[in-house]
Amino acid sequence: MEVANEMLDNVNKQALTTSPAVTSDENGQGEIIIEEITRNHKLLHRHRLTKDDVCIGRGYQNDIILSDPHICPEHLSLSFSQGTWHVNDNDSVNGTSLENSAGKQKHIHRQVIHDGDVITLGKSQLRVLFNDHQVAETIAFSPFESLIDIIRHPIAVFISIALFMLIAGNISYLNQLTETNVSQLFVSAFSLSLLFALWPAGVALVSHLTKHDPRIFAQFGISFIFFILLWLSERLETIIAFNSASNSILGLLFSLLPVALAFSLFWLNSYIGFHVSARRRVAIAACITTLLFGGSYLLQYSKKPEFNPHPQYNSAIMAPHFLLAPSNNVDTFIDESNGLFDRASEAAKEE
Amino acid sequence: MRIFFTLVFILLSHSAFATEQAEEIFAQLTPSLYQIKLIDKASGEKSSIGSGFQISPDGIIATNYHVISSYARHPEKYHIEYLDHQGNTAKVSLVSVDVINDLALVKRQVDSAMPYFKLSTSKPIKGEKLFALGNPHDLGMIVVPGTYNGLKKESFNERIHFTGSINSGMSGGPVVNKTEKVVGINVATSGNQIGFLVPHDKLVSLFERYNIQAPADIKLQMAKQLMANQEKLMNALMHSTWQNKELAGKALIPIIDVPFIRCWGDSNTDKTDALIKAAIASCSLDENTYLSSHFFTGSIEIQFRYMQARNLSDNKFYHLYQQQISRASAGNRAGKDDVSEYQCHHDLVIPESTASTEQAINNKSVFCTRAYKDFPELFDVLYLGASIDKNQQALVSHFTLAGVNQENAMAFTRKFMEAVSWK
Repeated sequence: MEVANEMLDNVNKQALTTSPAVTSDENGQGEIIIEEITRNHKLLHRHRLTKDDVCIGRGYQNDIILSDPHICPEHLSLSFSQGTWHVNDNDSVNGTSLENSAGKQKHIHRQVIHDGDVITLGKSQLRVLFNDHQVAETIAFSPFESLIDIIRHPIAVFISIALFMLIAGNISYLNQLTETNVSQLFVSAFSLSLLFALWPAGVALVSHLTKHDPRIFAQFGISFIFFILLWLSERLETIIAFNSASNSILGLLFSLLPVALAFSLFWLNSYIGFHVSARRRVAIAACITTLLFGGSYLLQYSKKPEFNPHPQYNSAIMAPHFLLAPSNNVDTFIDESNGLFDRASEAAKEE
Repeated sequence: MRIFFTLVFILLSHSAFATEQAEEIFAQLTPSLYQIKLIDKASGEKSSIGSGFQISPDGIIATNYHVISSYARHPEKYHIEYLDHQGNTAKVSLVSVDVINDLALVKRQVDSAMPYFKLSTSKPIKGEKLFALGNPHDLGMIVVPGTYNGLKKESFNERIHFTGSINSGMSGGPVVNKTEKVVGINVATSGNQIGFLVPHDKLVSLFERYNIQAPADIKLQMAKQLMANQEKLMNALMHSTWQNKELAGKALIPIIDVPFIRCWGDSNTDKTDALIKAAIASCSLDENTYLSSHFFTGSIEIQFRYMQARNLSDNKFYHLYQQQISRASAGNRAGKDDVSEYQCHHDLVIPESTASTEQAINNKSVFCTRAYKDFPELFDVLYLGASIDKNQQALVSHFTLAGVNQENAMAFTRKFMEAVSWK
């Protein structure tokens, strides 16, 4: 229910212009909804009161008791008369201000309040709503929801983490320069998984802190599936590099695949964890992707020496069962290598 | 007893005679001996020192190219000075060089004809006593007696093997026989009384060519010499027999049958815990051409590595194998001012010589080249072939050539690629 807050905010402004600031139940008694909100307008508590006079303050005799020390025991009162709610500051120490579409007003003395107005008292904020407040349209489940439902299933999460550990174990097996030691492999696979688990855990934590549903299983499931996909794309890139000559553009095309995958992961992370507009979600995912890939490119670029005395060549080789492309003969190789001499001479002349 | 005394007497008198001879030679030749200094113009201090000796009455002084190499490469940064036995210094000009034999001629101003070193007309004989002159470590002119031991074995460009101490700073100094004729020029040392000299005939021909016509441009002269030397070297390599040799009983590799390319072998058969059994054969040309302290050329390296997996999956074997081939690098030292960066090409190649036979090999081949900035049409090249057709075995064939032209580089590459196969 909290999740729809932002939508509510958006609609508030429209509501102001359309709905009258009059509200009462059938008995002619005032009905008001008061929300305690944070400075970022996130909901803390919601009170529905059906009476004509509402007292707010630190004292225990009040209808709404706030613990903020900057608020007076009898800070302010709201009263309903002739279909209109008024707010009145009871000469409080720190005063009260009212914020609505017309702007911010201080020194409240029998001020009319409208639907969606925000009252600031002490360091706390209250939002006033009436029962005819317009809410945003219901959001239909997107096709992702059903997919996410499958992914967040504990068995699916378990399988994806296990698969990731298997891959991590295989990578450390390949890099081990001595005889294989299974317990060592397990430890390194486990620690690598733990390291990668920090990302979904972090995202879930942030969404929890921002008053969203953390949906931790969904975050874990989706992240680990994408880690596996990223590994697969890297594998694919190596196979292509191994099977193609240096003048192939296929390799370049496939080097963009990890970028696309990372973007999708960040998009889904934000889809699961946060309720933001579609455009904002794309922007967030694009920002993180740029930060990640741009940052690592920048790091590489800054480390690049002005002159590299070592040749930079593609050394990808794989076991014969990955060999798909036919081989050339020496003549073709020599012909194509001949072009390098002109390029090298050009490079030598450039400076 | 008498024999003993006689022997002692003979030995004493002989050493006394040798000392006397050295003294005499030194006294007579000192006026034509110089210390050659390279002065950094900006700081006004010397940046390198060597020795030199006058070989004509009109002031031509011979020295090593490497003594004045910084000036030859950057004439705007330095000037060359001599220091004679009386402590006089004056500027000299560089008139000709031979980079291949590490020789240079500089010219000083003379007012009247001066004494000079005569160049020998014949080679010394093995065991002959020679005297090396020079100024080691700026300690003053000295004379070092030593022995001629013939030409250095297995060298492409001839060097005299001199048994006697040659130290840095003596570079460019003359080596004379007891008739005070120059038979060689100090050039290098391997420590422990092993010294190397440039044979005098190289200096004779450089001086003769200079007398016919002085070179107009030193850089152009160097470029021509480097081009001619690589042509001579590559010709010798291409027209020698390339023997097919077995490596670890599994592969056939070419061994070029020329004395100046020497081969060494290594393997890890003693290491029982190694994941990959490896046998390595590497051949190289022991000499190279000095162009400046950070730029050498003329070197050749050839290396073959056979690898056999031991209790490994194919994937792991290839993963470790890739680490072995990912860091091939240049065989010679060269910097940003000397060469361009490497340009590389790679492809999968089956050489036709053995294609569709049992010996056929499928290689991932990488070819890289970089161009020389000051010497057009000269390149460093690098080739790496990695076999990709056996699950548990691999053969890496690799070579680097420094300072060759395109035609020779490609002819060599073609011949090399066709010569490597499985057995």
